[in-house]
Amino acid sequence: MTDIVAPSLSTYQDDVTFQRYEESKHERPYLGPGWEAHGDLTGKLNEYYSIPELCEYLKQKHHGKKRFKKITLQFPDALVADSAIVVQLIQKTLEENDNHGDDVESTVVIEAVDHNDSHKHKEKDDCKKTCLNCKCSDDIEGEKDVKQQVWILADTAYSSCCIDEVAAGHVGSDIVVHFGDACLNTIQKLQAVYVFGKPYLELDRVVEKFKETYSTEDKVILMADAPYTRHLHELFNALTPFFANIAYTDIDLELANNAKIVGFESSSHKEVFKFSNRVIKGLEELQEDDLSEFKLFHITTPQPPHLLFLSTKFSEMTTYEPMDNSTNSGPFPSLMKRYRYMQMARAAGTIGILVNTLSLRNTNEVIKTVSNKIREAGKKHYMFVVGKPNVAKLANFESIELWCILGCGQGGIILDQSNEFYKPIITPYELEMALNPVVTWTGQWCTGFDELLKEEQDAETNSDEDIPNSPDSKDDDEDDIPQFNPVTGKLISTSRPLRQIQHLEIDAVSQDSKDQGQLVKAFSKSLAIKGTVSTSAQYLQNRAWSGLGSDFTDTDVDPEGAVVEQGRGGVARGYDFDIRKDK
Amino acid sequence: MVNFTVDQMRALMDVVTNVRNMSVIAHVDHGKSTLTDSLVQRAGIISAAKAGEARFTDTRKDEQERGITIKSTAISLYSEISDDDVKDIKQKTTGNSFLINLIDSPGHVDFSSEVTAALRVTDGALVVVDCVEGVCVQTETVLRQALGERIKPVVVINKVDRALLELQVTKEDLYQSFSRTVESANVIIATYTDKVLGDVQVYPERGTVAFGSGLHGWAFTVRQFATRYSKKFGVDRAKMMERLWGDSYFNPKTKKWTNKDRDADGKPLERAFNMFILDPIFRLFSAIMNFKKDEIPMLLEKLEITLKGDEKDLEGKALLKIVMKKFLPAADALLEMIVIHLPSPVTAQFYRADTLYEGPSDDVTCQSIKNCDPNADLVLYVSKMVPTSDKGRFYAFGRVFAGTVKSGQKVRIQGPNYVPGKKEDLFVKAIQRVVLMMGRFVEPIDDCPAGNIVGLVGIDQFLLKSGTLTTNETAHNMKVMKFSVSPVVQVAVEVKNASDLPKLVEGLKRLSKSDPCVLCQMNESGEHIVAATGELHLEICLQDLENDHAGVPLKISPPVVSYRETVEGESSMVALSKSPNKHNRIYLKAEPLGEEVSVAIETGKVSPRDDFKARARVLADEFGWDVTDARKIWCFGPEGTGPNVVVDQTKAVQYLSEIKDSVVSGFAWASGAGPILDEKLRGIRFNIMDVTLHADSIHRGAGQILPTMRRVTYAAMLLAEPRIQEPVFLVEIQCPESAVGGIYSVLNKKRGQVISEEQRPGTPLFTVKAYLPVNESFGFTGELRQATGGQAFPQMVFDHWATLGTDPLDPTSKAGEIVIAARKRQGLKEEVPPYTEYYDKL
Repeated sequence: MTDIVAPSLSTYQDDVTFQRYEESKHERPYLGPGWEAHGDLTGKLNEYYSIPELCEYLKQKHHGKKRFKKITLQFPDALVADSAIVVQLIQKTLEENDNHGDDVESTVVIEAVDHNDSHKHKEKDDCKKTCLNCKCSDDIEGEKDVKQQVWILADTAYSSCCIDEVAAGHVGSDIVVHFGDACLNTIQKLQAVYVFGKPYLELDRVVEKFKETYSTEDKVILMADAPYTRHLHELFNALTPFFANIAYTDIDLELANNAKIVGFESSSHKEVFKFSNRVIKGLEELQEDDLSEFKLFHITTPQPPHLLFLSTKFSEMTTYEPMDNSTNSGPFPSLMKRYRYMQMARAAGTIGILVNTLSLRNTNEVIKTVSNKIREAGKKHYMFVVGKPNVAKLANFESIELWCILGCGQGGIILDQSNEFYKPIITPYELEMALNPVVTWTGQWCTGFDELLKEEQDAETNSDEDIPNSPDSKDDDEDDIPQFNPVTGKLISTSRPLRQIQHLEIDAVSQDSKDQGQLVKAFSKSLAIKGTVSTSAQYLQNRAWSGLGSDFTDTDVDPEGAVVEQGRGGVARGYDFDIRKDK
Repeated sequence: MVNFTVDQMRALMDVVTNVRNMSVIAHVDHGKSTLTDSLVQRAGIISAAKAGEARFTDTRKDEQERGITIKSTAISLYSEISDDDVKDIKQKTTGNSFLINLIDSPGHVDFSSEVTAALRVTDGALVVVDCVEGVCVQTETVLRQALGERIKPVVVINKVDRALLELQVTKEDLYQSFSRTVESANVIIATYTDKVLGDVQVYPERGTVAFGSGLHGWAFTVRQFATRYSKKFGVDRAKMMERLWGDSYFNPKTKKWTNKDRDADGKPLERAFNMFILDPIFRLFSAIMNFKKDEIPMLLEKLEITLKGDEKDLEGKALLKIVMKKFLPAADALLEMIVIHLPSPVTAQFYRADTLYEGPSDDVTCQSIKNCDPNADLVLYVSKMVPTSDKGRFYAFGRVFAGTVKSGQKVRIQGPNYVPGKKEDLFVKAIQRVVLMMGRFVEPIDDCPAGNIVGLVGIDQFLLKSGTLTTNETAHNMKVMKFSVSPVVQVAVEVKNASDLPKLVEGLKRLSKSDPCVLCQMNESGEHIVAATGELHLEICLQDLENDHAGVPLKISPPVVSYRETVEGESSMVALSKSPNKHNRIYLKAEPLGEEVSVAIETGKVSPRDDFKARARVLADEFGWDVTDARKIWCFGPEGTGPNVVVDQTKAVQYLSEIKDSVVSGFAWASGAGPILDEKLRGIRFNIMDVTLHADSIHRGAGQILPTMRRVTYAAMLLAEPRIQEPVFLVEIQCPESAVGGIYSVLNKKRGQVISEEQRPGTPLFTVKAYLPVNESFGFTGELRQATGGQAFPQMVFDHWATLGTDPLDPTSKAGEIVIAARKRQGLKEEVPPYTEYYDKL
């Protein structure tokens, strides 16, 4: 007789089931060495993030009322550890500075991981939260004008250098304070403040490294991410006695026209010209075309897309890591690989447009332009918005042959350097080249939308006369000539799925499929759903496994039936039999 | 003048029994094109005076300049033979007019793929062997290929004039040399012959071997002499033929035949072959070359040769040429041999159909091929593309195997990846024109019935290199040609001016079309790669690309080789990878597939397109696989056809069939670019030991399985003693003894490995065979020439992939150095990631 045990309804749990992460101490190397000795972290951060100056800006009044009632603070992952202290500091400062000093609302809401969960953290103004879009919130605010709420935004879904308008929109924020490195891209509507921080840089060590790396004749441009840019002027001054041909970059203050930059002062040097989101200073007679002769010395390593962009602009590039005083001169992401992807795009029949930003200006226009272009080229496109794209998410859409990613050029573009992604990911600029009937490759790498749209307009004005000769006017017989794919060295006939339907469309329209009640229509070579070619459906038709029962044959049936066996239990991280094995 | 009209030829095409499709194959410089000239001259296309010099079938400028054939060239010839000869044909014939579709092929090993393409559309092969050099490496290669395609060979021993004039051999020596050559050819034939073909060895006494000199335009078969003597002796010709070869002697005193080389008194007798065949030739040679003016007219009269007015004044070699051409015209001997001994399409297709057709042998299409039925649905195989005068356009060159192809006919164009019932690689298009290929000219014709070789206009854009045309919707493809050579030598090309890029891409497309074997791909780091079989092939391809196909200045990198990644042991433990959501796991083990199986997959003996049961049988019977395992091969890779397999060894896994598609795609992805140097995998068998899947289908979708399969493939490989493989050439060098030392020293320096060294009997020539890594072969020819005073010229042909014995993960080893260099070039991290990168702990 075996003992009868009550069934356990929940999974057995012990220490092994849930892995615990060691609470790690927060390293804050950007504060410089020896800050721990002082022990005054709060004071240090107060200074680092220029909190007083920030608060001065935040408590501005407009028609006698506080201009910003809801303040959201956006931290990149690396600085999230500081967020709690920063919030406290801001609250304290706002409170102290408040003349009335009475009822400053001190609400801290952490907007994290899942935006829908944020209401759980809310303290007392349920009403306000739930009625964000209705009148009552305005009423309440009308009564209590002075309340200033501070929210933390973390886990930015796309690029942390951009302002996360959507997350800020969740709380109806009036202003976003962005901490850390920023791309300074213009945003659609919100007010924003950038706080780069004042990272520590040991100038002597940099100068030393610099001297090791370059000879005195070298033409070099100094560059850094936004926080470290503050040191460039000083560095420039320290280096000019030894190096004649150097220039440096500064933040382009005009870029952030509807935003405020706090705790940063640009140098007084005359601006020579604009480059990307920087201005170049220090060498009077420098021309933009000369940049290709210059080498680049970049403090901190930029994110891969920006790194690639920079490496195409300069003859050579060295990155300097202030944390461990090391330099790196490559290999950097290769542009030739992009060329390969561009060629693959020419051969792709189905393109996924992956929207990897929600805040960039012109996103909608670019989506429209890109999808029109794809359609004109006879290719099929699908549009996707996924939170934080990763390998698994993109691989779920197997029928997509190539992804075109719309994102911030600083950090919002996925550069697949270890071939991790199942299908290549390219930028709209590259796609634009790929869709050109003639193979083109400019050797440039543009990530900005403005360039793309401008080029688009130029092309439109130029190509007016060419239209009668466009590929569409060729006779039908020429349509499906297979294309040579230089990547595989084979002919492919699937690169223009939409071409096939051009003569079928007449068919589809004349029947006006409504009364037919038929959703899917199979043509000789392609499959149409509601009058458009569906390459995904075609793909699914080619799968060996086409649903339940498709793998079932009569011979599988055992007339006796199967014996019921004990299944497996536990959670996926460690099923019960794994745990047993471990022991 | 041309002796025949296109109409005459078109009429003959309908009489398929009187058609002979044949290719001329041989080692380089054994005289194929020169010999072909004799035939072309007989047909009246070039003047008699030029025959032997014009090399009519060498149509390209560089072919004429270099004196070697690069592309195979087809020509159709019309010929009539006597009624007497027709009687000897052992297959069905009608009348005595014959149409010979001849393809002259290149002899240099680098262009073997051209030979393969030629063999596919022909039924017989004229194998030319140099009487001095004997059977060489390429002779063997092409013979092996011919027999693999079920093609019947006949042999011509060429350059007999050299033996007589340069080596001054005796009659018996010459006989011995002939006999040895025939014997070594027969050894090869016996090794590779297909039982279905029957006995295809060649026998001089049966008339399947001819002897002659292409340069001087003469040749003979034993049969021809037998015909002469049978009247004189009053013996049956067949009997006479047997007496004129081998150990058969004639005693002039007793007028008796014997098989002993001495008479009753012990005096030596002369061999019948020497006495009756070689003697007149030797006498003519000695009389003319020694200027014995008085002897010559006597001999000529005896041999019934009459010279015209000005010919009588000739002397020495020139006279010899004229006399020999009149005495033993080469065309007569060759035509006789071709017509009598090579099969007609009707005969050949009956036994070739099974090996030519991918589909089941009992379906309608296969039957119509078997019967060579001109009234059935069309089946036509395009074996190569021939450039037209219109730049960028090509004639599709191929053979009608069934039905009749007409101008304007709508046909289904099935590319190599076409699968019946699917739409991939299928086009329906009209044929614009049908043409007859005549060397450097084409002649339009209206239609062409089964059994003939044609060129088609208007379908070149739908096929890259080869393909099947048919009018039957159920028809499968004709089998894809397998080449004996591999494109293992590659360079990266790039344009000098960025604006020329479109022309380069177009040029690469044209280049891939124009050559059956060249590969134009792009490597992982985005360079355009042109891969060819050897340095000469590469040189020709690049020259064509730069001057012709692309027409723009190019930058060309130094040659590199491509490697393969493999394993040497079994995975030391079961590799496990979890899906990104951690809910699914794949347990995989890697082990070597074995060189035999890898080669079998590469040569198409075991193919993913085979029926899985038939394939399992072959694997079980010939390679010792477990039948259940063999039936559970999920996929091949890379590209679905490569020499790596995934075998399902799981037991009772739920939802397994649901993830099969994702596993297959994931494996295709992983096997195309391995973990070590991003190269293709080769010779690895992956066994899926177990799979754990989430119960919800949404959590075991492609996104979860695809990346996991890739990771686990890498983990299993890295756990199984990963190795890299490099391509190795087989080198054959013929040289005088004095040069052998030099060869050895160069080979040693280049990691070469000598496998044999033989002296060719009766000559001072040595043949050295060695294995040489392709990587070391660049500049080998030049160095060899230097070390041997220009006496040694190597023939190099891809032979196999050799595993480098050292650990590629150890940066100090030879393999490790290659890996680091390759990874650097591709912009990857220098060190190979450890298995833990892809392996998940439980």
